[in-house]
Amino acid sequence: MQRFLDPKVLAGISSLDLLARTVVDGFVAGLHRSPDFGFSQEFAEYRAYTPGDDLRHVDWNLYARTERCYIKRYRGETNSQLTILLDASNSMLYTSGPPSKMDYARFLTAALFYLAIHSQRDAAGLIVFDDEVREYIRPSTRPGQLARLFAGLEHAAPKAQTDFARPFQHFQNALNRRGIAIVISDFYEKPETIMEHVAPLRFRGNEVILFHILDPQEIQPSMRASAVLVDLETDQRLEVIPEYAQTAYRKKIDAHIEQLRSLARGAGMDYQLLLTSQPLDLALREYLTLRQAGN
Amino acid sequence: MGFLAPWFLGGLAVLGVPVFVHLLRHYSATPRPVSSLMFFERGTQSSIRHRRLKYLFLFVLRTALLLLLVLAFANPFMQRSAADANGHLLLIVLDNSFSMRTGARFTDAKREALATLAAKPHGEKAQIMALGGQLEILTQPISDDAQLRSSLESIQQGDGRAGYGELGRTIRSLAESVHTPIDLHLFSDMQRSAMPANFTDMVLPGNATLNLHSVAQGAPPPNWTIESVEAPAELSDPKDPKHSHVRAIVVGFNTPSADKTVSLVVNGKTIATRKVTLPANGRATVDFAPLDVGYGFNRCEVRVDGGDAFPADDASNFAVRRSDPERVLFVHATGDTRSAAYFGAALAAAAQGSFLLQSMPAEQTTDLDPSKFAFVVLSDAAPLPSIFERTLAQYVAKGGSVFLTLSTRAVPRAPIPLWGAAVQDTHNYARSGNAASVGQVDFSNTVLEQAHPGPDNGGWSSVKIFYAAVVDPTQARVAARLNDGAPLLLEKQLGEGHLLLMTSGLENLTNDLPLHPVFVALVDRIARYLSGSERLSSSTLVDSFVQLRAASEPAGTVANVEVTDPDGRRPLSLSEARTAQTFRLARAGFYQIRFANGRDAVIGVNPDRRESNLEPLPQDVQQLWAGSSSGNPSSVPNTALNEMKNRPMSLWWYVMLLALATVIAETAVASGYMGTQREEV
Repeated sequence: MQRFLDPKVLAGISSLDLLARTVVDGFVAGLHRSPDFGFSQEFAEYRAYTPGDDLRHVDWNLYARTERCYIKRYRGETNSQLTILLDASNSMLYTSGPPSKMDYARFLTAALFYLAIHSQRDAAGLIVFDDEVREYIRPSTRPGQLARLFAGLEHAAPKAQTDFARPFQHFQNALNRRGIAIVISDFYEKPETIMEHVAPLRFRGNEVILFHILDPQEIQPSMRASAVLVDLETDQRLEVIPEYAQTAYRKKIDAHIEQLRSLARGAGMDYQLLLTSQPLDLALREYLTLRQAGN
Repeated sequence: MGFLAPWFLGGLAVLGVPVFVHLLRHYSATPRPVSSLMFFERGTQSSIRHRRLKYLFLFVLRTALLLLLVLAFANPFMQRSAADANGHLLLIVLDNSFSMRTGARFTDAKREALATLAAKPHGEKAQIMALGGQLEILTQPISDDAQLRSSLESIQQGDGRAGYGELGRTIRSLAESVHTPIDLHLFSDMQRSAMPANFTDMVLPGNATLNLHSVAQGAPPPNWTIESVEAPAELSDPKDPKHSHVRAIVVGFNTPSADKTVSLVVNGKTIATRKVTLPANGRATVDFAPLDVGYGFNRCEVRVDGGDAFPADDASNFAVRRSDPERVLFVHATGDTRSAAYFGAALAAAAQGSFLLQSMPAEQTTDLDPSKFAFVVLSDAAPLPSIFERTLAQYVAKGGSVFLTLSTRAVPRAPIPLWGAAVQDTHNYARSGNAASVGQVDFSNTVLEQAHPGPDNGGWSSVKIFYAAVVDPTQARVAARLNDGAPLLLEKQLGEGHLLLMTSGLENLTNDLPLHPVFVALVDRIARYLSGSERLSSSTLVDSFVQLRAASEPAGTVANVEVTDPDGRRPLSLSEARTAQTFRLARAGFYQIRFANGRDAVIGVNPDRRESNLEPLPQDVQQLWAGSSSGNPSSVPNTALNEMKNRPMSLWWYVMLLALATVIAETAVASGYMGTQREEV
């Protein structure tokens, strides 16, 4: 099933629904062999009854044997709220080979939505932003929510530059309920600036995951001759020599990633670097791990 | 260093093209999109410098290619010194022709040649040749002094005739393989008669320097010799005044008027002497008759008394064979008496015929042995007894010859004995009222040979053919044809023997040939040819070839030939005796030969009489010859000598090779750049 998670294979699937189903089914089928993960109505622990607890969760059999009142808790019985913040700036259009960063982000988002709604019964919402909010679909578990989310993804076309300031102020207002917020972006901004705008999401008790999407060529650019580079967002041109791209650039991008990861961890957020050549299960696994920890 | 076509250097103007392309054109690279430039820094200065460096290499290659092409068209050359001792080939040619037997010419020439060889710088290559009847290459270009000296000393006096034309041809072909300068030293008596008819034949190539060493000093000495001898090769009746005589022509070169004694020597014994008065530089004819010789082969010579500087040419050899008249078997059909009568009469009247005709009807030939006859005539191709036909076939295969005629008995599809084919058709010209005539005659054929055939087609135009058979001429040589193209006289070789077929008869019914004078000549030549006496002339020249066996010898039959030279030695080895087709008569004297068909012959061999004329080449011709190869330093202008010593060597080929290498390098470098640009896109 692993081959269904390969981004190159997924790039050939035109329907996001089918794509998400393929990815999640393949991923879940792989999880059944793992003893570390479980969800749905699986027993988790006993807790002493305290006044105010729902009497429906009292283990009456245990009370009959011990005359003590315990509350039985299960994993996954609590519905979470998943909100994905998808960067749709022009820089996400970059690709050195299918899929582009934007497509990869779409695949990832679609798979997460499918996993959340079908498997976890979670409410899921979508916010597409660049320098402002382009699309906002409120988290919900209503029937047809998945289709709405997929339609929103389909319409998410990169248009402008990335600006974390204005959209994230809006997110503060939108994310008024505790849940999981996932930010998917290539994060071409100073890490401090990113953290400045993303960290407030955490204040309301949200679990925040940063999925850093990069093309392999952005990590290790191969350049044999001098070239004029054009910024996809600003259209600015710069003549660059191969020696720089092979030495100083790599150091800078590595430092950027490391700083972003460090700041995110410091702010209590999860950070995951995803290359467009990597399978999607890494991101799905990250999501499930975080959700399990949240329960 | 210079240019053979310097005006092509104007093409250097095209060097402006790569200059424009590489230095004046601005480089433009296709932009390459990236997500963000926040981690990139401008590297413009170093980038441009790097690019210019790489393109400069391509520029240099392209400029060099154009430069080399222009240079190739301008054809550069450099002067190569021809005076390099290691690059010289010393070529020593020693004349050992018959005329070098005069006085001490050969000894002097060999001594001078040895001195020249001794003066050769050690390590310089040399080659030895002998100029006799054939230019004999004795060594390859080697630097081994001992071997060279040994080869030079091994050259002996010969009997051949020198030819400077052959020398020129050999040196020209040698110069095609030897590109170093050739120093040719010719040691010769510089005979005028050795000069070819065309002077250009003896001109030497440009890289050969001719040094003439003439051993003939002063005026040519007087010399008398026997120019030619006319004698019968075979003689059956010594008392026959028609045949039994010897005619010799005595000639003098640079001689005053003198009385000379000419002797006829047979088998070492002088049998006749004649006194003759020769005019100054003139010739005289001497007759000896009758020629009384014994049976068998007689070694004869005509000798003029000496008194000159060249006694070796005072005698002329010839051989005369005396034998009883040979019998000729004439097989005819019963009742046909005319054929034998006409053929016998013609055979008896023939000038040198020594034959007796024995006619016999075909039915009586059963027990006959054809090997006892000089040749066999099958008149009208009469049906033969099978035993005799088989015997006759074996006789032909071993060297016997048969003359077949087809007359009125020849009907379509009738087999022709021995010929291996049948009559295809017959033409009865008399019935149609228009007799056929002889249209085409091959006068080069032995039996029809005429040196100067008359306007009447050599006497054949008046011959009328009334009846003739048509025979397939495949695998036969057609000697004469009728005016309608049908073959009249055909010749075919069968084993060692010969078959001659006439498609008409010998009587006067099928044609009127027997009534014409040409018939006698035809019968005479047929008899001489088929009996084998045609091949045996009384004398021949040195360096002529004699055919030892038939060219198409039947498979499985190997017959040895035997050759005995004038010294009594056998020059052919056993293996050569089984395979040799021809033999070169290299020496003067008498050769005794047994041919493959079993016949014996003694041949008198004489040097070419042009060797007896000792007059040397005029001095101006010698200078012209030496000058043609710029060889004689005394007679050649200094400028020409310098040109020879400093010969221009064209560098065109090397320039083109360089240009080719540059093209390959340019292609590789340019394609590398193109690959980079594609990647950028």
